[in-house]
Amino acid sequence: MFESPLFWPAYIKKNVLYVLDETLVPGKLKYIPVKNVKGAVNVIRQMKTRAFGQFLVVLNTFLLEIQNEGRGLSPASQGDCSLQKHLQYVAHELNNSRPTFPFAEVTGIVIGSAQKARSEGKDVRIAVIKTIEGFLAGIRARRLQRVNEIAQALQDGDGILTHCNVSGELAMAASLARTEGKHVKFFATETRPYMQGAKLTVWEMQEAKVPVTLIPDNAVGSLMADGFVNKVIIGSDRSAANGDIANKIGSYQIAVLAREFRIPLIVLTQPSRGVASGADMPIEIRDADEFLVFNGKRIFPPKVKGFYPGFDVVPYQLITKAIAIHAGL
Amino acid sequence: MPDYKVRSITLLQGLFSSEALQKMKFAKNSHVFVCEGRPTLEAGRKTTQALLKKGTTPTIISDNMAGFLFFKGLVKEVIIACQLADNTGALCDTGALILSVLARKHKVPLKLLAAEPRSRFLGDPKLLLSFEGQRMAPQGTQAYVPLVEWVEAKYLRKI
Repeated sequence: MFESPLFWPAYIKKNVLYVLDETLVPGKLKYIPVKNVKGAVNVIRQMKTRAFGQFLVVLNTFLLEIQNEGRGLSPASQGDCSLQKHLQYVAHELNNSRPTFPFAEVTGIVIGSAQKARSEGKDVRIAVIKTIEGFLAGIRARRLQRVNEIAQALQDGDGILTHCNVSGELAMAASLARTEGKHVKFFATETRPYMQGAKLTVWEMQEAKVPVTLIPDNAVGSLMADGFVNKVIIGSDRSAANGDIANKIGSYQIAVLAREFRIPLIVLTQPSRGVASGADMPIEIRDADEFLVFNGKRIFPPKVKGFYPGFDVVPYQLITKAIAIHAGL
Repeated sequence: MPDYKVRSITLLQGLFSSEALQKMKFAKNSHVFVCEGRPTLEAGRKTTQALLKKGTTPTIISDNMAGFLFFKGLVKEVIIACQLADNTGALCDTGALILSVLARKHKVPLKLLAAEPRSRFLGDPKLLLSFEGQRMAPQGTQAYVPLVEWVEAKYLRKI
């Protein structure tokens, strides 16, 4: 099966965590070497990685810091107690990297496993490594299973609108559907201001040999009104207990339009009971210069202000179907 | 999150005629937000320049950020650029349909003002493949750039 590099965009090799720099795709496939938690926080904050990549970076950063500790490169001194303290520091730094993604729920799994091992008199280092490695293997298997489920949801003749990028799964599902003889075509929103649709989704659909057409974010209504799409599929960065999700800015208006034009909205989710509803999810407001300035040059007149919310909440009432993987969050 | 008050934002979308921009008036306490208008950004640039000349400091947003403002209950009125209108609806600059549907859902009044007349209804796909002259999408990308869209009258009633 075709596997997109965006499906698993970070890995550890010889004490270094390599993170795919998604801001350079499709021009280059370059992996940023990350050596400690500080580097990990930087790649997250600078949006070099996002969505599922963040999840991988978080878990691998713990493995990296444990390796560093073993090599005497970590501030933690010897012993389970100090290792646990250091892991808590790593969790704290990652939790405060960006506000919307549920970092604390992911780091909580690692800290919980360290605490449990210590209370049971087991080796914290071994227990945490085992937990993370098991968790990563499980997530990979469940994501591959979800690729199959998405492919099953695709029907011959479908025109599918997607927004931003869903970390490889959609392109892989589309590729699979085509091998099953289903002719499906995709429309990808450009996804300003970082243009993940134009740069990532279009690229990986092309790599998967799936027909894809790029549209501006403002053409979603036209596309739906003119009958070009009969399904919308998007990812999600976070889920609430009531089924609300947070996803890339632009998702809410797409969901409202889909409901208006009676087009089913399918969302790929990671269910969590961490927050009760979308209202409890902190929405990241990023620096407006990220879209007012391009390549060091201001693209709108001086004095014009900008406003850049990074995410939308989509209420569960607008979601037709969720295809979930239970990540244990 | 900036401390915008509920229903304090006037949201502008599309490439307005110079005359429409000159005549535009806003309540004193309203914040004026302008959709950038991909792919050319001409709408965002022309509108913000005109507003600055009139002494209004606008805030620009990407076209996909309008929904957030509605969801938060911040939008008090929407003004969109219209090429022509009759009893069945209006031909507006692309993006108008999104704002019209959102305005109806959130019970926000919507006004139509004259757009800069367009000679083409479809934009050059190449415009969308690049941003400010720099290639974004991979080689061989197909793009669809409608410049205008029909907004049915049901979305324009009670304005």
